Amino acid sequence: MRARSEPAWKPKKDLTVLNRDIPRVDGPEKVTGAAKYTHDIRLPRMVYARFWIHPYPRLNLTKVDVAPALKVKGVVYVKALKEAGEDVRYQGADAAIAVVAAETPEAAEDGLRAMIIEAEELYPPMVTAEQALDESSPKIGRGGKNVNVREERGDEEAANIALDTVDVLIEESYSLPVQHHVCLETHGSVVDYRGGDEATVYTSIQNVSGTNASAARALELDADKVNVITHHMGGGFGSKFGIGIEGSTACRIAKELGRPVHLMLTRGDEFLMGGNRSGSQQTIVGGASKDGRLVALVAKADRFGGTGGGAFAGLPYIYKVENSFFESRSIYTATDSSRAMRAPGHPQASFGMESMVDELAFAVGIDPLTFRKQNLEDPVYHRQLDRVAKEIGWDAHPNKTEPGAVDGTRQVGIGFAISQWGSRSRPGSQCEVRIEPDGRITSTTGTQDLGTGSRTYVAAIVAEEFGLEVGDVTARIGESAFPTSAGSGGSVTTGCSAPAIKDAAHNAREAFEARIAPMLDAEPGQLVWRGGEVISAQDPQKSLTWKQACAALGSEPLSAMGEWQEHLRSQGVHGAQAAKVEVDTVTGELKVLKMVFIQDCGLVLNRLAARSQVNGGQIQALSYGLLEARVHDPDLGLMLTDNLDDYKIAGVQEIPEMISIMDDDDDRLAVMGMAEANCIPGHGAIANALFNACGLRLRDLPLTADKIIMGLSDRS
Amino acid sequence: MKAFELQNPVTLAEAARLLPTKEGDESARLLAGGQDLLTELKHHLVEPDRIVNLKHVPGLDAIEWGADGGLTIGALVTLQDLAEDERVRRELPILAEAAESVGSPQIRAMGTVGGNLNQRPRCWYYRNEHAVCLKKGGTECFAYEGRNKYNAILGGGPSYIVHPSDLAPALVALGAQLMLASPDGQRQVAAEDFFTLPSEGNVLRETVLAPNEILARIVVPPPASGMKSTYLKFQERSSYDFALSAVAVCIWMDGKKVKEVRMVLGAVAPKPWRVKRAEALLAGRELDADALKAVGEEALRGAEPLAENGYKVPLTKGLIVRALQKLS
Ligand SMILES: Cc1cc2nc3c(=O)[nH]c(=O)nc-3n(C[C@H](O)[C@H](O)[C@H](O)COP(=O)(O)OP(=O)(O)OC[C@H]3O[C@@H](n4cnc5c(N)ncnc54)[C@H](O)[C@@H]3O)c2cc1C
Repeated sequence: MRARSEPAWKPKKDLTVLNRDIPRVDGPEKVTGAAKYTHDIRLPRMVYARFWIHPYPRLNLTKVDVAPALKVKGVVYVKALKEAGEDVRYQGADAAIAVVAAETPEAAEDGLRAMIIEAEELYPPMVTAEQALDESSPKIGRGGKNVNVREERGDEEAANIALDTVDVLIEESYSLPVQHHVCLETHGSVVDYRGGDEATVYTSIQNVSGTNASAARALELDADKVNVITHHMGGGFGSKFGIGIEGSTACRIAKELGRPVHLMLTRGDEFLMGGNRSGSQQTIVGGASKDGRLVALVAKADRFGGTGGGAFAGLPYIYKVENSFFESRSIYTATDSSRAMRAPGHPQASFGMESMVDELAFAVGIDPLTFRKQNLEDPVYHRQLDRVAKEIGWDAHPNKTEPGAVDGTRQVGIGFAISQWGSRSRPGSQCEVRIEPDGRITSTTGTQDLGTGSRTYVAAIVAEEFGLEVGDVTARIGESAFPTSAGSGGSVTTGCSAPAIKDAAHNAREAFEARIAPMLDAEPGQLVWRGGEVISAQDPQKSLTWKQACAALGSEPLSAMGEWQEHLRSQGVHGAQAAKVEVDTVTGELKVLKMVFIQDCGLVLNRLAARSQVNGGQIQALSYGLLEARVHDPDLGLMLTDNLDDYKIAGVQEIPEMISIMDDDDDRLAVMGMAEANCIPGHGAIANALFNACGLRLRDLPLTADKIIMGLSDRS
Repeated sequence: MKAFELQNPVTLAEAARLLPTKEGDESARLLAGGQDLLTELKHHLVEPDRIVNLKHVPGLDAIEWGADGGLTIGALVTLQDLAEDERVRRELPILAEAAESVGSPQIRAMGTVGGNLNQRPRCWYYRNEHAVCLKKGGTECFAYEGRNKYNAILGGGPSYIVHPSDLAPALVALGAQLMLASPDGQRQVAAEDFFTLPSEGNVLRETVLAPNEILARIVVPPPASGMKSTYLKFQERSSYDFALSAVAVCIWMDGKKVKEVRMVLGAVAPKPWRVKRAEALLAGRELDADALKAVGEEALRGAEPLAENGYKVPLTKGLIVRALQKLS
């Protein structure tokens, strides 16, 4: 037996499938509606369940009478999740007072409305930072506090002393509102349990392999008897790592009724309890020397993560500052906890830092591109910034060191920002490649495709290994019964699963070669897999078609497992953003004309899917920058934007020309996830472009027309 | 939404007879394209027992031109049909632009002219079932001291909604007449008099329409020759959105001088806000920088912004300038 050789990615020039534009393998299914998302699952005798969520955050329940719901035709199940006398502590899952299940969604809703739930509302509702920070307010946060210091970095005294020496000093506050994930598919599960000791749980989750244990617990079944399925998913963005109370409740109802249960959150419930990206308020004091060196920075950031701690990447973020101090605090409110959301903490930190850097650049009179490069050590950022500057047309742009004027015309501006992401990965993911005697070949792993395109490389990596086309390989993903794969968070998906897929393909090829090499009078390892054939390296006359080779397996399929291999992955993504905007200095209309983003990410498995991720990241940042904000009434405690009319996200008309570039100067021949760095800097670059266009510096997102108009009328 | 009985009358009179007669009786509601009513039903803002579907009444979906050049628009004409009508686009661009500015293509394909004029406010508090505000029979306008970025700067009190319709300011500017049918016959009301301020009428409604009246047709009188017109709407999100502010202008020029102008503001007041004094100020003047500045000042005179909607003042002034520049 030959010693096993190490799998390795082929050099880019030798790749025939990977590192090219590969259309998604499930594209046709998705566009024809054949793809079944959790929401679409319909099962015999299935019931629809819904929560009764109280809209007010802090309550003392005085009456919980769910019985009237049972009188509604079609209602088959009601249950109080809280009793009279109990408290509701925050808006969100804690305010789910009862649940109902019925033969139709309409009957379920009628059932909810028939219940009698009364409560004393505790004042103040504690939905704003002002309420949390008010000395006289009740203490509702973690550890009986409304404020917790989370992180301190650097020497404040030294940084303050350094600030005294700078040529230019700027002190400003920057703020970002709470943002929602707005997954097109809301959270929820369809639990198929009809008695017995087995169940299938369809769920919209970004952590398939890690979910059967919790589902089994809720169902009181053995974990190996519960298969969790997420074949298709309408987005997660970090908000869907666990089945949540919506999933466990669905499991319990199914167990009690012995009938399948469909429990998907309504859009309104999704806004109230589906998680969010924490807001932030940052005070930054920055100082630079005349020649454009960042000398000192003192930054204090508050995170608004509801009952959660919120997230905030440290400052000075990526820039090199000689003396810096950073402190962050969590401010607790009685609202739904923040969750991970696409690059947690980074879009907030990036906005504050990139705004400050831009302000200092203009204050010292050095153009913002040069200023940035002067304060960045990593040469990757230099080349990336130069590239986006070229694509956006910076050279020909007039406003280099002075912004345009407010003169009644439309003004064009350009802004920059940068980003980073770790894209780490970890051991544990596995994959099985199986070749059938009839020529079928499958690649099976428990990973999930959130809409990102991961399913496509599950097939493509194997196709590359055997010289096949992507369509020849069937990717099977999204079941907890499949070989384990990592949850999709922090851009680990590709770094965790692709090495295991590659390893399985490699192992399958070696085993296959051992079987068929003799038929070609060749040694294993001396075969070439190309164009649907396997060819002897010594004697190219000797070859088998893929089908012939598979038939040689006899009656049993060939199966090989693969494991995560550290050397097949790398980590560390850099990104640079440029944005070009046009602002109407009469009406304040801000239009983003163009966005350019470049990033590196080692070996790009599928260039089309990667660019699509970059497009999506830029759009999410644009939407954050231009429109998105959660709004509460501070007195009534109600969330006023719990729907997609009032929580505005960008639509087609907002989308500018977009250029998404893979940094091909990156020569790391290893893979990593790549979908976070691109959603970090966009809104900062747009805010900087607005300033560049007309001299209006807005430090409070979103950059809506009302703020721009007021700012412009102050200036003119 | 609450279960209801769907009724499909085939004449206007029959439809009107199916509607409640008493003010405050919410047992039945008229349905046209459903783009507003369905959202109200889903959010339980109204819970009628019966829905009276107007769509089976024939003859209400026509755009007709009289021999005199006047235009009659049936209440069931869709916004899309109005926006795409060649002659409307040519002769009454203000109307085509207003119709085209509504919502998204899907909304325009379903939404009707009658439904557009009779749609209910979009105020955050009105639309939130749990906020029992003045408009929903409560005692307080929560927007007044609450979150009021989208609310009224003119004509507010005791309610501070803005009228959401894009067609309304355009029709008021055009001097349109509304034909209202009831079981007792028909009456005609000028578009300008159709909409009411909360301080003038019933705070629960935005128009003078009686509970059993139906808007059947809209008549736009033939404009005096030489009219130029435009509807300029500013929205926060261009993909689809209600107006933050809008300006409807019909103007007649005499060389470089303004002969006559009619100007109506949208999304700044609880009803389409005609600015007669600003109109008068322009008569006989050239549209120079001074005039443009003065007309903006005059149009917004008396504006009383709330905490979060002061931007509507400069915005509206800016739109007025843009609209007049476009037409001159
Ligand atoms: C996402 C979205 C965006 C929108 N954007 C805009 C916008 O930008 N600008 C804008 O102006 N509107 C907008 N609308 C509001 C509205 O839906 C449309 O304007 C549409 O014209 C309503 O017409 P409809 O026929 O669908 O009305 P319906 O929903 O059928 O009716 C609306 C109301 O009018 C009453 N009604 C209908 N017809 C008559 C009649 N003939 N006589 C008396 N009463 C009648 C109904 O009882 C109901 O109360 C938007 C709506 C949505 C959902």
